[in-house]
Formats: sequence, structure tokens, C-alpha cells
Amino acid sequence: MVQEKKRAINRLQTMRPIRAEIDETYKANVEASKAGNPIAWAMLTIWLGDAIFHAMDIGAAYPESYGAACAASGEAQSYLDRCDEEGFPTHMCGYARNCIGYTARMMKDFGGEIPPEAPMGGMPKPAVLLSRGMSCDAGFKWFEALGRYMDVPLWTLEMPAPGVKEGLSEGVRERNVGFMTKELRDFVSFLEGIFGRKMDWDRLSQTVYDLEAIGRVWHETSELRKALPCPMHSRDFWTCMNGPSTPTGDLKKKLKLYQDLYDEVKDRVENKVSAVAHEKYRVGFTELPPWHSLKLFDILAERGWNFVVETWGYHPAVPIDLTGVNDPLERLARISYSGLTTSCFQGAAQAGEYMGFLGYPNLKYAEEYKLDGFFLHPLLSCRAASAHLWYVQDRLMQKLKVPSLMVEGDIVDVRMFDLADALKKAEAFEEIMDHYKEVRKKEGMEW
Amino acid sequence: MYFAGVDIGSTMTKVVIIDEDEELCSKIVRHTGAEHRRLANKVMEEALKQANLPFEEISYVVATGYGRVNVPFADRQITELSCHSKGVSSLFPNVRIAIDIGGQDAKGMKIVNGNLVDFVMNDKCAAGTGRFLEVISDALGIKVEDLGSISLKSTNKVKISSVCTIFAQQEVVSYLSEGTPLEDIVAGFHDAIAGRVVRMVKRLKIEPDVVLTGGVAKNIGVVKAVRENIGLEVLVPEDPLLSGALGAAILGKEAVLKALAKGEPIPKKERRLEEATFFT
Amino acid sequence: MPVAEETKGLSRVKELYQDRPQRVKELKAEGRKVIGYLCIYPVLEMMTALDLVPYRLFGDMREPITKADACLPPMVCPFLRSVLDLALKDKYPFLDGIALAHICDVGERMAHIWRTYIDYPYFYFMDVPHTTHKAALEMFKEEIKGFQKSLESFTGKSLSSEKLKQAIGVHNDQRSLAKELYDLRKPDPPLVTGTEVLQVMVALASVPVEEGNELLREVINEIKQRKEKPQKQATRLLVWGSIIDDVSLIETIENSGANVVMDDICVGTRSHWTEVELTPDPLDGIAYRYLEGIKCPRTFREAARDPREKNYMADLESRFGYLKDYVRAWNVNGVILQSVRYCDTHGYEVPAVRDYLNTLGLPSIYLEHDYSQSSLAPLRTRIQAFLEVLG
Repeated sequence: MVQEKKRAINRLQTMRPIRAEIDETYKANVEASKAGNPIAWAMLTIWLGDAIFHAMDIGAAYPESYGAACAASGEAQSYLDRCDEEGFPTHMCGYARNCIGYTARMMKDFGGEIPPEAPMGGMPKPAVLLSRGMSCDAGFKWFEALGRYMDVPLWTLEMPAPGVKEGLSEGVRERNVGFMTKELRDFVSFLEGIFGRKMDWDRLSQTVYDLEAIGRVWHETSELRKALPCPMHSRDFWTCMNGPSTPTGDLKKKLKLYQDLYDEVKDRVENKVSAVAHEKYRVGFTELPPWHSLKLFDILAERGWNFVVETWGYHPAVPIDLTGVNDPLERLARISYSGLTTSCFQGAAQAGEYMGFLGYPNLKYAEEYKLDGFFLHPLLSCRAASAHLWYVQDRLMQKLKVPSLMVEGDIVDVRMFDLADALKKAEAFEEIMDHYKEVRKKEGMEW
Repeated sequence: MYFAGVDIGSTMTKVVIIDEDEELCSKIVRHTGAEHRRLANKVMEEALKQANLPFEEISYVVATGYGRVNVPFADRQITELSCHSKGVSSLFPNVRIAIDIGGQDAKGMKIVNGNLVDFVMNDKCAAGTGRFLEVISDALGIKVEDLGSISLKSTNKVKISSVCTIFAQQEVVSYLSEGTPLEDIVAGFHDAIAGRVVRMVKRLKIEPDVVLTGGVAKNIGVVKAVRENIGLEVLVPEDPLLSGALGAAILGKEAVLKALAKGEPIPKKERRLEEATFFT
Repeated sequence: MPVAEETKGLSRVKELYQDRPQRVKELKAEGRKVIGYLCIYPVLEMMTALDLVPYRLFGDMREPITKADACLPPMVCPFLRSVLDLALKDKYPFLDGIALAHICDVGERMAHIWRTYIDYPYFYFMDVPHTTHKAALEMFKEEIKGFQKSLESFTGKSLSSEKLKQAIGVHNDQRSLAKELYDLRKPDPPLVTGTEVLQVMVALASVPVEEGNELLREVINEIKQRKEKPQKQATRLLVWGSIIDDVSLIETIENSGANVVMDDICVGTRSHWTEVELTPDPLDGIAYRYLEGIKCPRTFREAARDPREKNYMADLESRFGYLKDYVRAWNVNGVILQSVRYCDTHGYEVPAVRDYLNTLGLPSIYLEHDYSQSSLAPLRTRIQAFLEVLG
């Protein structure tokens, strides 16, 4: 009998069909495009744009995710080089460089056809671009720059980003939700104008309800990971995270898949099955993982590192009460705004933490998931995901005596990440985590 | 009439004297060292001696290169970008892209009708310059001059993943300990330096003729690697170190002839052949 | 380099440039309250109308960054790191409060970091939309209302429409005076150097608006009557890009043999070119001017037209058309694009601006620097080579 080599991370079975679904979308987009159906290239907009595309039968490709896929497949370098040749500075977002390089190649070298070497079947030329004015400047500057290569209509979707104190001021939340709802309505008109088709509002309502259902299940799954030992590793989260945020394909089928995953995780909790053989350290991760070197986590798993929670911003919104909100656009706006960006503001204000959803949730997570440490991954080309990490490290230590390991890298450029160095640092960090465990015990903290 | 070009690079100082027909009357190459401020006039004196000319016979002196501000006897300072472009065009009239890999920097120049029209430069990072090769040759215990011929023996060059010279050194050590043949390591590094430079130059839209110049162009291994990275034929001057000084001298000639043609005074400075001081 | 006769206005400018907090320290001693602000989005008119003294925050190229290293990593905007570093080193003890805005990713995060580590009696973070969509303009009007409320709460005073309109008038005066100053750069050679103009703009950012207006009037007069003018050069340049608060870069360019006759930076035309329209509800004019009127790459804008007709050239014209006016009126024959390293806002913009300049037949070069004195030396060669190409 062949002995199956025990994998360091106990991956969920139910993760596979979800992954397959997500991968299918690449092919689906290419097919749709060939059949003359419109494809959008979209930045991740926490459902806002995605639900609308889905309801209007517009397929969506996600260049951010595509950047990750290119990095994982090793193909990114040629696109990065091409972006440099096109005259863009080298410090820019790796996903942007990958996409700009890819687009230059597609449009200039192949007249708009997908380049033959493109991983995952590539992204077909889009009929519309959706960028966003939240999370990062690259989000809209990059898509703006794509205008050099193709004349494709572009909408930049606004999302307010108030400070913690300002966001809690009277009337601000309602005003911002109103703003986003109006924006979404204008965006719908924009799409109707381009494609000559009207929005099916019932379908949109259904889509939003379906997404909320998926989001709820995914949220509950995350809550289950608070168990000791943790039943689900971050690797499984990252593999499946696009599903709840990108409404492609059959959403009812998708909901079933996420329910299956929830069931598997629940089962593990009941049977105290861990995601790693021996959970010695419970670790959180933020912000973007090193897509090109995910085996780092397998190696760390062998040393007992269980990654139990990751970037707040990747998790679906904490479910909120939307009774009485019937306008699907308003539901979307409320979920995204309140649920994700500002649901942590009360706690943050009380704790004197002003970094909003980039800061305070890490403290919350450390407490709720009983973390021994945080793995912080600053990225050379992403200031949006890195500028605050030193602050996060400081606050975790000051407030909770939870240490953080800082390991630099880049989201797409593999040459910026030194795996051997990261492992060396991690080894040394274990002693630090041990030390602070003692410190917390002495201070009477719960973990 | 005679014209002189003085190119004070970070590693080497070059002086060239030409006549009206752009024929070489003398050429001198010396290590710059830490004393380049004081050295320029000495190298100039050597060049004058070789050409058998007194200083007063030189109609115009143009200084270029990293140390160009420290040439008190120069009539004008012009950047090495313009000078290399001019020098290379005089040797290769159809040149469109010139690449200069020097001791501590690398440049790409776009040339149209012998004139510089656009350029890119790397002077921040050692990887992609002569320094990179020096560090590697040190690590391997080989002389820099031998790197080229050794690399040509390679049949299976290694892939260098580090972007930084310092980390590249560490990669040398690990390849050596694995027993990788020396020529494969050297060829790998040539490919790394060529790749880096070519990536930078591609911003200028590369088209033939492409000329490689500068000290590193004497390394046939690098020339080969640059050829492979560009995918085009790459021409190399007989004396790659001199194109800057040559171009400087030619630009001096052009300035003088232009002034004479217009009936204007030659734009010279009051100058004497002497050492640079800190107050020049 | 021209030598201006030591005249009152220009001497005062130089004084203020060298020792920026000079005036606000005096005012503070007299009991006035000083509000530091970053960038050009915090609404100046509101602060002025409530008798607060707005003081624009700049960094210090010569001060090595030490304390900020603990809060902000090295691969972010060195200017913002410098500003935070100075704050942590208590170089702004005269500030009663800070008004910051969502200018860019690092600007936003740095605002929250600042607030966490240093307590001020007044602190406000203004959220600025990223587009000029109709909904965004409406939201922004509400947002500045919030800013006004916070200032009222801090000062204990209520801001009347009248007072606000008055303040708008005075700030508009400064904007039109600045244009008069810039007109003096149109002749060949210009009557005033780029270095001097930058010093004036920095000085204006360091004093209350009325004092700034007086200073400007003096300076304009003195320059008009100058006997020794700047030297004529073959090249007349426009400098575009991210913040320049120190003359060393402009000096380096001018010393290489060019006249810097125009700019598109926020210590220059971006802060002073557009006036606030006096609308019945003054907030409408203010919101419009600050969000739509300020032409900074941090805001997304493109040509307004049928969504089915996307056109790159039309977008370029809509985004950068004002450069054509500058180039023509100031007779510019070359453009230097510059930005601090790691500036995403300007970095993504560079190829598009160059595309536009190509349509105008204008040569350009892009220089990156890291907001330090040592980064200037390598720039000299590039600048000189660029001038040789133009020559």
C-alpha cells in the first residue's frame, strides 16, 4: 500500500470544489468574450460593483487576483518588465505593473487578443473598466493608466473613508451611505448607457440576498476558527476568499459549497481536529500574502504555526441588521460601508485607536482568536498595505503584549522576497512568542 | 586645429586629442583614483606629449564624466550622455541606441543623426554596472579581465535571482559550494548584468544599430549576454573606453567651427593647464 | 543667478523662507491660535474666517529622519515621513491643532498614526472623494460642513455666512495677486527666478492671508522695478509634479542653465490658480473649487461625454489641457517632471503627462528624488543632459 505523505497543513476537502469554481471563471470569461458577451475588468469593490455586473449579465475578471495568479505561476516577471519599458516607475503596485504590462502586450503585440503565454487562459479585452476610489490610490490611477492602451469606458466607484472620530459624528454615516447609494445608481446608469440594456432590479435584489447569505456563512466559518485548536488554516481562507466577494457563476450553487465548507469546519471543531499537526503557535497574518511563496506556510506548519486569522479587509462584512432596507443598492452600500469599514469604529474610538479598519481589528483579532503573534508582511510596491504595519506592530505590543514578525516582500515580484531569510526570522520569532506568552500570563491576560 | 576631450570617470580618466578631420592624435587612459581632481592636468600633459603638441595649440577642451567639474583648463563641460552619443556616432554612423556600462553607472542613449535625443540612467544601484562584476570576480578569485573568456566556455549558465549586488555575492558562494562549474556561474552573472541594463534601456524603444561602449564592453561575455537579451546585433568600438572623450573632443570641434562659420568669437575660457584646487 | 537689491518685501520673503515659524510664533504669543495643515485640501477660508491662523506644514530636506522610522516604513513618501518626523521631534510646539485630509494613501494613514501618538487640542481628518462625480461633490459639501462644525466647536464661535464670504474674498485676492506675480515670469528673461517664486509661495504659506497679500503686493512692485534681472537662458522650463518645499531642486535646474518660468506643483499654481466662486451658499463655491478646481492627480477626472465614447486623447486634454495654456502663455520650451520616490499619485501619471506633452511637441524628462540633499547630485547630470538635448 502506498503511504500518503502527510501534508503539513490539514487542508479542507471542501476547499477544492470552491477553488475549482473560482478558477472556472477565467475560462468562463474567455468563453463569454468569444461569444460576444461583455466582460468587465474590475477592482475588488466589496460586492458593490460585482453584484451589479452579475445582475446585468456582465462577466467580471479581476486584475488584482490575476496579478496573484501570475505571481504564483511565475509568469509575472515578463509583464513587470514590460510595464517598466512602457515608462512607469518601478515602485508601483505589483498587480498594476502586471496588468499594465499584460495589457500593453495584449493590445500592442496581439492586437487585442489574449497573449499565448497568459496564465490561466488570460483575461480577455474588457468592454468596461471598474476601478475604485477606496483602499488605495493605485486602484484608480492604474485603471486610468490603462487608457493609454485601450479606449474602454471606465467608472471609478467612490467609497468614503472617514477617520474614526469623524465617522462617528452625527449624521456622517447616513450621509456616506446616501453618497454611496447615489454613486451606485449613477454607475448603473453608466452601464445601461454603454450596453443598451436595463438593470433587472429584481435580479439585483436576489443577487444581493444571495451574496449576503454566502457572506453570512463565510463569516460564521471565520468565527469557528476561534476554536482551539483552529480547524482551518489561512491558506484555505486565501484559496476561497474570492468566492464571497465575487459573484460569478451560480450563486445558489456557490452558497451550497460554502455551506459544505462551514459544515466541514464545524465538524472539525466538534472533533477538535486541527489545521496543523500540532498547534504550538496561533498566528495572525496581514496584509497580502506572498502568493509566489505560499509554501512558506507549509514549512511553518511543520513547526507548529497555525495561521488562524488574516486581514480584516478580506473578510466579508460582519452581518448587520438590514430590516426595512429594500433598495438593493442601499443594502449594498450599507453592508460595505457599515459592515466592513466602520463596524469597528465604536470599539476603536473607545480604545483610542484611530487607524480605523486597518488598525483596531488586529487588536480585536488578537484577543478573540487568542493569538501568540502576528506575521506582518510589508510589500515593497504596496504602500496602502504596508504603511500602517509599523503602527500595528507597536499597538499590538503596547496594548496586548502580542509580538509581531516583520518580513518584507512584494506581492508579485518574487525577487523581493527571501524565503530562507523569512524562515530564519520566523525561527527566532518563536522564542519571542514564547516569551510574550509568559508576559501575558503574568499580567493575568486570558491567553 | 586640435581639440581635446577629457573624460573623468569614476574608475578611469581618459584624454583624447583629435585634429580637424577627427583623426586621433593621442589617447591616454589612466586610473582615476581618489586624486582625480589633481590628476586631470597630468593626464592631459601625457596626451599632449604623445601628440607632440603644446597646450596652447589646443583650440578647445571639453570635459565630461563624473569629475567634469574638476577640470579647470576645460572650456566647457558637457555631460557624458551627449559625449558618448557623439563619440559613438562618429564610429558607427547608423547608431540609434548606445549603451554605456561604466564602473559605477550604466546609461542608455537614443541617438538621431548623431545627436542625443533621449536617455536613461542608473547611477543608484551597483547591480548592472562594472562594480557588479568586480564584486563577483573578487568572490570567485578571478581577475576581472578573465571573466569574459571564462564565461564563453559555459553551456549551462545559472540563473541569478538576486537584484542586489550584495545578495548576488551570497549566491556565488552557494553555487560554488554546490560544485557548479565556474564558467556557468560567470555566464549567469553576465546574463544578470546584461538583463538589468537592457531592461532599463528598453524604455527607449530599442532599434538597430545598437552599440555597446564603456569599460565593461571589453568583456566579451557581457557583450554576448547583451546581444542575447536584446535579440539584436550589438556593435562594440575597438576602444570602448574612449568614446566619451572622443565625443567630447568632437563636440569641441563642432562648437569652434560653428562659431567660426558665424563669425562669432570662440566661446573659450581663460584657462591654464594646472591642478584643480578646491577653489576652482 | 540674479541678485535682487535687498528690498523690503523680498528680504522679508527670504527671512520667512529661512525661518518659517517666525510669524506664527509671534501671533501665538499674542493669543492667536495656529492650525497646521497638510496639502491644499483643508479649507483655508473657514480657518481664516474664525480668526485661526492656518500654517502649512512642510518637511525639512536636511533633517535626517529618525523618529518617524518607528511609525512609517522607508518605502513611503519621504516628504510625509519628514513631516511626521518633525512632529515627533516636537518641532511644531506652536501648533494648537492639525487639519489633515485624505490626500493619498500614505497621507491618510499618516494622519491616523499622528493622531494616535500626539495629542493636540484640535485634530480633524477631512475625507476627500476621489472623483468629481455629482454625488461626490454633494458629499464633499457635507464633509466641509463637518470641518466647519469642528472648527466652530474648537473656537467656541459660530461662523456666519457673511464672515465666510469675507474670508473667501481675501483668499481670492491672494490667488489673483499670485497670478500677477506669475505674470512677471512671462517676459524673456523672466523678471523673477523660479527659486524666488518658490520662496514667495513658501512665505505665503507661513503667514495669515492678509499679511501674505500685503507681502505679495510689495514683492510684485519691487520686482517690476528691478534693475538687475535674471539672466536670459536658451531654455524656459515648466516644473511639474509632487510637492517642492525647498529651493534646492529649482536652484539646481536654474544653475544648469535654464529659466524655470512656470510650474504645476502644489506650492505654486495648484494652490493658487483657481478662485472660489462666490455662490449664494458659500459652501457650494468652496466645495466646487477645492474638489474640482484643484488640478491634482490625486483626483480622478476624465472628459465628460457619452460613456460609450471613451477616448484617450480627449481624456488627456481634459486632464492636462491647462498645461497647454501655461506653455503657450509662458512660452515654455521644455518640461521637467519630478516627484519624490514612492509617490504613487504622480508616478502613475507620468506616462500620460508625457503623452500629452508629446502632442504639444514639448520635450520632457522625468526625475525622481528622495527628498534629500544627496539625491540632487545625480540629478544634475540628467538635467544638464536634458538641456543639451534641447539645446
